[in-house]
Amino acid sequence: MPRRKNVRREFPFADQKPRHAVALAKAEGPRRIAWTITALSVAFASAALFSVRIAAQDGGPRPPDLAGEWRLDQGEDPGQPPPNDYTGLAFNDAGRLRADTTPESIWGTPEYQCRPHSAPHQWRGVGGVRILKELDPISRDIVGFRLQFMRSLDRPIFLDNRPHPPAYAPHSWSGFSTAQWEGQTLKVITTHLKDGYLKRGGPQTSDMLTMTEYITRHDDIMTIVQVVDDPIYLDEPYVLSITYTYDPNGGPPTENCTGSSFAENGGTDRHHVPHFLPGQNSAIGEFLKTEDWVPFDAIRGGVKTIYPEYRSVLNGGRPVANLTVPASRSANEVAKAIADQSPRDGEVHVLPVQGNVFMLVADGTNITASVGMDGIAIVNTGTAQMSDKVLAALTDLARTTVYAPATNKCFGANCPSPFGAPAWSSPFFNAIVASPRPAQGLRYVVNTSAAPEHIGGNEKLASSASFKRGGTGRAFGSAAPDIGNNATIVAHENVLSTMSNATPKTASAALPSETYFDEFYKVSEYVNGEPLILYHAPAANTDGDSIVFFRHSEVISAGNLMSTVSYPLINADKGGTIQGVIDGLNQILDLAVAEYRAQGGTWVVPGRGRLSDTADVASYRNMLVMIRDRVRDLKNKGMTFEQVKAARPTLDFDGRYGATTGPWTTDMFLSAVYRTLPNKK
Amino acid sequence: MKHIVLAIVLCLLASGAALDAQRGGGRGAPPQTPRQAAPIDLTGYWVSPIIEDWKFRMVTPNKGVFGGIPLNNEGRKVGMSWDPAADEKAGEQCRAYGAGGIMRLPSRLHITWQDDAALKVEIDTGTQTRVLAFNAAPPAEASWQGQSRAQWNVPANTLKVVTTNLKPGYVRKNGAPYSNKAVVTEYWELHALPNKDQWMTVTTKVDDPVYLTRPYLTSSDFKKLPNATGWNPTPCNAK
Repeated sequence: MPRRKNVRREFPFADQKPRHAVALAKAEGPRRIAWTITALSVAFASAALFSVRIAAQDGGPRPPDLAGEWRLDQGEDPGQPPPNDYTGLAFNDAGRLRADTTPESIWGTPEYQCRPHSAPHQWRGVGGVRILKELDPISRDIVGFRLQFMRSLDRPIFLDNRPHPPAYAPHSWSGFSTAQWEGQTLKVITTHLKDGYLKRGGPQTSDMLTMTEYITRHDDIMTIVQVVDDPIYLDEPYVLSITYTYDPNGGPPTENCTGSSFAENGGTDRHHVPHFLPGQNSAIGEFLKTEDWVPFDAIRGGVKTIYPEYRSVLNGGRPVANLTVPASRSANEVAKAIADQSPRDGEVHVLPVQGNVFMLVADGTNITASVGMDGIAIVNTGTAQMSDKVLAALTDLARTTVYAPATNKCFGANCPSPFGAPAWSSPFFNAIVASPRPAQGLRYVVNTSAAPEHIGGNEKLASSASFKRGGTGRAFGSAAPDIGNNATIVAHENVLSTMSNATPKTASAALPSETYFDEFYKVSEYVNGEPLILYHAPAANTDGDSIVFFRHSEVISAGNLMSTVSYPLINADKGGTIQGVIDGLNQILDLAVAEYRAQGGTWVVPGRGRLSDTADVASYRNMLVMIRDRVRDLKNKGMTFEQVKAARPTLDFDGRYGATTGPWTTDMFLSAVYRTLPNKK
Repeated sequence: MKHIVLAIVLCLLASGAALDAQRGGGRGAPPQTPRQAAPIDLTGYWVSPIIEDWKFRMVTPNKGVFGGIPLNNEGRKVGMSWDPAADEKAGEQCRAYGAGGIMRLPSRLHITWQDDAALKVEIDTGTQTRVLAFNAAPPAEASWQGQSRAQWNVPANTLKVVTTNLKPGYVRKNGAPYSNKAVVTEYWELHALPNKDQWMTVTTKVDDPVYLTRPYLTSSDFKKLPNATGWNPTPCNAK
């Protein structure tokens, strides 16, 4: 049959052939090859889809259902571990010291009373687990899991390919978990964990640990391989595996927190931090009275104790020092992870905090900003070099969060008018949708201290204000000078004094224009709908530190009282003391309230580092109390500073907060602690 | 259009052939051997870091320390009669080195293919050898390692092993018993850790109607080693 006839039959109107038919008819040479390639591509794609579908029908890789109730039978490490049992732990010296000096009674402190189990211990905690699936309501794809243990917060695991938060985002007890399927194993990666414990009884973790879990279902058994990588305290990752049994009648009971006040727990000082001085924990080894088959050296842990080679030590054949074991390395780049909490990259990073408040991470220094209809109020201004970028970030923030175009929410006469009377939609359209009000400028600057990284941007930022401060030429008979469009700068009077006496001379526009000398100071008007209150922290980092409380947003700007990337900067020449810093942190803890189970609630913006909450402040305070007491004990024994330094009273915190180079080293911090502690009376 | 139709038909045929291959050989081709079908490679040297149950594994606990083991009254009674000297005298010093307990002991493993249908697991502690056979084995006398039947779970990338025909042994070195009726079910899995370590976890379920009230579940972990360094075969020791 002639081809043309076929064409005519398909397309009775010969000159109206579909475009592809015309193309095929005309295709010659290279174009025909191109068409063939296209056709093959389509065919391969179809075949691939077909294969996947058939494979699934054929019992191909399909993730198992992990959801349901699972029971822990505790076949391994049964019961409550005795205090200071470090068997099986690859502790380094820092980990051992930290565990030795941290009693379980730390749970009695107000900030930890409702603390859930730390993530590394959750699978080992009694009570089983409930695994819930989270579904996309449209596609019904599994986009995540939610884990519930008896003593834990719900732990979300995201399967939707979202990235982990930046390092300066807050940490939580369960951390931030993402997962992907590797075959039929769910691989979960968790970051952003608070410091806690590997297991009850003393072994502590730092907040820089990462956790990787491999969850595999074998019939009605679920095996979890858990890798805890915390090089601050461990010489190699801690890997354990836990088995659960499917139990549809199970389900973890809920342990409601009924935390009582510290006083009711037998304490008399809500700020008391229970701890042992090094070498003074008499409970170490006490459990060997009942478990007398275990040698004392083994319970001290260490990487050499966990390999089969250690049996030659137990048999008395070899000293442990001569032992070689196939130890593993850490994959956790802790130094970088710490530095990333306060990146010095010449950029400004914005993190929404709560209510009106944002945290700006400006090249290694934090700025707290309240942005709202009143304008902008900031706590600290960063370095002078960053002023332009900080200003641009603030303007952008105001424009995109408060003054951004919004969708029309009314029609006709129901619309509110920017001028009061009801109006047609067009004014609303003009004012809200098409051309909103320009962002309001800076109104208030608060300096928490005179530290250069907190006041460096004062002059440029304050002068960016969009309305006048002071008089307007003839106001009050010219008693109030007209100083132009400057924001009000608020600080403790000792900040003004320090800045005024600085060399080189501080520009007058950079100086505080409102100062206070009392215990606290209330900014005279609401700012963006909330009170702004400054509390003086006497003799803390310096003699002029302030804590700034955004009372409705529940945010505290801590200034240099807290840093999650270093020991606190204590300028003893300017009146700073270790005790003052501790008192200041206690003051923050008195103001702050956790939202639920010792996390969230009042947020605390540290001078440097990641956004924090009460538990983080408590952890930092606890560390300083421990160091203070250790140094005081050594000093009271008559030791010189060099002798104290040699005793390494900060050993268990140096990996996390210490530095051997840079503007604030461990030695400088230790020197400040030693120097500002009173001599024994 | 003809090109597209032809291409689709060819590719569907090709994909069908690929699926046949995944199932174990194309039409008319011999089925894959267990060795060829292995979804994971268990061979090599492995060491067991003793991280959990250290006090029960690295050292022998006192008689009667049975925490975590669901012994029934009879099991407890038998466990309390543990006498390592008597075991040695009776030539039963390998009771803790049977398939129901040996994976818990500090050891190195050397895993190889004995043939195309059986994995051989040599264990330096107690100088024991387990054979994980993918095909049915003829009946044999009960032994410390019993008879292990292995089966790949290809989509899951795991190995399931069921061991029966065991001589009575100990799940813990201090005499916590399992009987000759015990069935040991194991699931072997591999993971590549973030630090590039190869990690093998063996989940073990011991079902014993004689001495246990419910299955005894443990999971034992092994890290892959680059070579035989540290391989140290030692005889069974009842103490």
